[in-house]
Amino acid sequence: MPLWSDPLFGQTMITLMAAAVLVLQITLVAQKSLVASIRVFGVQSFLLAGIAGTIGWFTGAGHIYVAAALTLLLKALLLPTILLRLVEKIQIEHEMRPLLNVPISVLISGLLTLLAYAVAEPLQHGMSYGGPAALGHNTLPVAVALFLTGFFLMANRRKALSQVLALLSLENGLFLGAISLTYGMPMIVEIGVFFDVIVAVLVLAILVGRIREAFDSMDVTRLSRLRG
Amino acid sequence: MILSAIAAVVQALLLLLASPLITGLIRTAKARLQNRRGPSPLQPYRDLHKLLRKGVVEPETASAVFTAAPFVVFAATLLAGLLIPTVAASAPLSQFGGVLTLVYLLALGRFFLALAALDTGSSFGGMGSSREMTIAALAEPALMMAVFTAALGAGSTDPGRMAQVAIFEGWRFLAPSQMLAFAALFIVLLAETGRIPVDNPATHLELTMIHEAMILEYSGPWLALIEWSAWIRQMVLLTLLANLFFPFTLASGPGVMELLAAGGLYLLKILVLAGAVVLVETTNAKMRLFRVPELLAVAFVLGALALISTFLFGVR
Repeated sequence: MPLWSDPLFGQTMITLMAAAVLVLQITLVAQKSLVASIRVFGVQSFLLAGIAGTIGWFTGAGHIYVAAALTLLLKALLLPTILLRLVEKIQIEHEMRPLLNVPISVLISGLLTLLAYAVAEPLQHGMSYGGPAALGHNTLPVAVALFLTGFFLMANRRKALSQVLALLSLENGLFLGAISLTYGMPMIVEIGVFFDVIVAVLVLAILVGRIREAFDSMDVTRLSRLRG
Repeated sequence: MILSAIAAVVQALLLLLASPLITGLIRTAKARLQNRRGPSPLQPYRDLHKLLRKGVVEPETASAVFTAAPFVVFAATLLAGLLIPTVAASAPLSQFGGVLTLVYLLALGRFFLALAALDTGSSFGGMGSSREMTIAALAEPALMMAVFTAALGAGSTDPGRMAQVAIFEGWRFLAPSQMLAFAALFIVLLAETGRIPVDNPATHLELTMIHEAMILEYSGPWLALIEWSAWIRQMVLLTLLANLFFPFTLASGPGVMELLAAGGLYLLKILVLAGAVVLVETTNAKMRLFRVPELLAVAFVLGALALISTFLFGVR
């Protein structure tokens, strides 16, 4: 059997890419520079598009290709460009100061990943191994880990822009979970989610600009008083 | 028996002769990326030649440790190099120990270097060795866990055996845990060879220097030995990274053509990895010493996740 039609090879490639996605997520937690974080996110989305493309290739489902192409265009190219422009335009300081220091953050995200493994393990037991039906099922722990560390990242950041980035990586986890378990949601849901993300980023970009104008900083901890 | 003796001699010669070239190529490539012409890749050989002809100046306060250290460091590093497979899929001295011996031989060399730096009683030496030990204590767990991940995948701690298992299994050997372990080991490589986010290899006139601060008192042939063993150590770690996680190009038989082809591919792999190191060095600024633990914490967590996910991912 040639390599490119062997589902076991596809599964190996998918798990490898998923592991790389996990490595990038931990880099994102450890990274202090905003610009570098945005680039890491871009690469992560690129790998996700690769996973989706591989699943599409081995299952022969056409709509997964569309999802892969959308991920590539929107998340790997368009969103990083918008965010990088934004960073350039508002000329914020590039170093972000998380609430917890880096070693503790990295340790916590390591523990969250373990939790994700523990949570996803029982779900994996009932599933069949081998054949195209099992393709990508063992990426479920990675998906849950992306989701949990994304949440942690959001809570751990002060600046609005880095919180947007955390939200996006969380969304990457959702996408990975959806595509590895169900081979993608119906097309219309897929497109809806993508436009949601785009709109969310655009709105947040404007909001970030406003916060900065009003407070001279993007630190959301300063937004503590309600005014009528 | 005779065959393995020949293999050991050939591999020792390969390490001795090729390691200065790797260092020279890294320096040249780095200079080119920074728009400088840089020295020729052969400069390390000239440095060795120059240093080996000179006399030795020994500090008055130095004891026998200072004299012994260059030889211990050199011998330990070279021995460590003989415990890993380079071109063929078996290590020449594999009957003397596996990966654990390798890690501790490298640690022995580092220990003696730190001891010698303390021995002279200069303040720079003390600073250098305390920094080196701090970094080593943080890098070693990550190194161990990354190496154990690969050993678990193959079911053996002998690197040659690990490579054979991997070649036998083909691409099925590539597990997600290895990706994590590779990332951890790459960070350890940067820390252990004194590369830029951790230490600056290009200077010895900086207050933040680590490796250079330890060898400040050495001169002549002794300095040559220490520099040479640092280059060999770099090549050993690059080889470890290349051959633990991508051993498919190694020759499994004793054929001459096969060995030559595997040798070429081996050098190619090392050069690709060295290129990655050059890219990291040119795109990053040196970290403050107090931020180095952050980097090594990342390596540690990656290594721990790699080791644990071997059990949890359910692939193997």
